[in-house]
Amino acid sequence: MTKIMTAVWAAGGRVSGLGLEVARAAAQLAAEMEARLIVLALGTGATTAAQALREAGADEVVTCEEEALDASPGEAGLVALERACELTGPALVLLPADSLGRDWAPRVAYRLDAGLVTEVTDWSLEAGRPVFQRLVFGGKAIATMAVAGGPAVATVRPGAGRRDQPPRPGQGELRTLGIRIAPDPRWPRVVRRQAEERQGPGLEEARVIVSGGRGIGGPEGFGPLRELAGALGGAVGASRAAVDEDWVPPTWQIGQTGKTVAPDLYIAVGISGASQHLVGCARAKTIVAINRDAEAPIFDYARLGVVGDWREVLPALTAAVKEMLAG
Amino acid sequence: MHLVVLLKRVLDPEIPQTAFSLDPERKQPHALRHPYVLSVFDGNALELALRLREAGTDVRVTALTFGPKAAEDVLRKALALTVDEAVHVLGEEEGLTAARKARVLAAAISRLPSPDLVLCGRQAADWEAGQMGGMLAEALGMPCLPFVSSLSPAAGGFEAVQQVESGQLVLRLPRPAVVTVTNDPGNVLRAARIKDVMAARGRGLTTIALQDLLPGTQGVEASVETLALRLPAPQRRAEICEGAGPAEAARLLARRLRELGAV
Ligand SMILES: Cc1cc2nc3c(=O)[nH]c(=O)nc-3n(C[C@H](O)[C@H](O)[C@H](O)COP(=O)(O)OP(=O)(O)OC[C@H]3O[C@@H](n4cnc5c(N)ncnc54)[C@H](O)[C@@H]3O)c2cc1C
Ligand SMILES: Nc1ncnc2c1ncn2[C@@H]1O[C@H](COP(=O)(O)O)[C@@H](O)[C@H]1O
Repeated sequence: MTKIMTAVWAAGGRVSGLGLEVARAAAQLAAEMEARLIVLALGTGATTAAQALREAGADEVVTCEEEALDASPGEAGLVALERACELTGPALVLLPADSLGRDWAPRVAYRLDAGLVTEVTDWSLEAGRPVFQRLVFGGKAIATMAVAGGPAVATVRPGAGRRDQPPRPGQGELRTLGIRIAPDPRWPRVVRRQAEERQGPGLEEARVIVSGGRGIGGPEGFGPLRELAGALGGAVGASRAAVDEDWVPPTWQIGQTGKTVAPDLYIAVGISGASQHLVGCARAKTIVAINRDAEAPIFDYARLGVVGDWREVLPALTAAVKEMLAG
Repeated sequence: MHLVVLLKRVLDPEIPQTAFSLDPERKQPHALRHPYVLSVFDGNALELALRLREAGTDVRVTALTFGPKAAEDVLRKALALTVDEAVHVLGEEEGLTAARKARVLAAAISRLPSPDLVLCGRQAADWEAGQMGGMLAEALGMPCLPFVSSLSPAAGGFEAVQQVESGQLVLRLPRPAVVTVTNDPGNVLRAARIKDVMAARGRGLTTIALQDLLPGTQGVEASVETLALRLPAPQRRAEICEGAGPAEAARLLARRLRELGAV
């Protein structure tokens, strides 16, 4: 039977939203391909994630809880993934397009002599083989790609392979990978974690996002953005330009090389609308642009817009929104 | 200490969608009138290498590119930024699998003094594959740390900051290793000084022909085929909320948002 393999980080039993989404999408694909879905759950405490992965559609959950994963998740995870692939011989390996999935994908593809397609946004089956879609040239073109002559490895972006059917329940057999991973002195080792502190919802969960770009002009300009976001119960994001200027932390970046978000409402303030930014917010239901340049490309993309200086528009908008919500 | 930085020449990623068009036959963008630049994250990688050289003694930086004659541009730029050596693998990438490309680059690196660190961009600003760093690490038999935003020297190697979803990780990175570099306010590529630009004019590049490096195929290699390349569907223009002044436009916007059910 054809096998599809997915690997997710599941330390402490927690699998990221994207990890579960990829498992669910992989289960749909497995159903269409009449394949068996094997999910490798990595990290200490991964076993407690088995139920969630079963519900997502895993036919088999393979766990690896080696301690070496804590300090060297990239390298130790790669060892586990390679071993799991050797044991099962998957035709397709689907990994979340997050920092670990993107780390493992090229290296496991190299080891398996597989073809790699990264940052997949959708797929279909043609003559039994998956054909992938992805954005290239910063979102200015869409490529259709397929792998020939061997197994395929792909990294999957949020929203890919989404089908309307509910996930098919998996058989969810649970077993352990059964290898020891000795930490290698050549591996990078985590010595410190600096988690970002954020008030209110995170960008991935937020229903409303107010994002600022270079047009905000400085870190203090993000205050009024925060106020509008606060009134709407939302979060504040940014363009790469604002991150590169050091006005906001890198974790706020939205776009191709930042976060991919899907809020109900996305308000882009002082952002020109480069394709690389729009890739990150394209799944928002309603996009609003506030920009003083009527020719800014963001106005070819947004649903609603105001042409004007945000310093004048934003306080009035915040006041109007507060009034509306109060009344 | 020897640092090797990989530099790729790409079509300027900042050209707007309206100026961008495709050659469906070749499955490549039309390039004729467009400028080419150093791939952006490679600029961040180069900046980190230059800073490591400044932070240590006896650190040498080699810039390496693989591409046609025109790819020389990025090496000229690197020389103007005072890299110690520039190596050009002269040939076309098209038709090579990613793994073979990695083996070509690894073969070029093996002709140099053995590197303590190889720095790549997190992804090239053309096809955005984000694969070469990891594959090159495999071809060189080195560990790989992706999404690094800063590096400093430390006993036995480096201290590296890696950007992940939840924030940053600080890692001890032994050498040798491959890193892929992501953008950060602290690694924006510096501008070249006029006197260095002048001095770089007279400096030579080391050129290696692709044929001299091409390894034989190793077993069965899967390949990735681009079946089609197309432009995204055009979007319609935003409905602009206008009023007598900014405050009125903002109120109109708030009203429209409520009508659309967005607030
Ligand atoms: C490989 C690659 C990956 C990238 N990844 C990302 C990514 O993940 N995310 C991302 O955002 N970018 C990314 N970029 C960068 C992207 O190409 C753009 O450079 C960036 O998005 C521009 O940010 P910006 O719109 O804030 O700045 P600008 O393009 O400089 O636009 C600023 C805008 O503000 C407006 N403005 C100025 N003052 C005011 C005012 N007072 N009131 C109202 N409006 C005002 C201006 O009219 C202008 O439209 C990437 C680029 C590359 C090459
Ligand atoms: N032809 C090349 N010459 C030099 N460096 C390259 C080449 N191709 C890829 N790279 C390096 O690998 C990184 C990732 O590229 P890619 O995997 O193509 O997205 C780039 O940012 C470069 O640093």
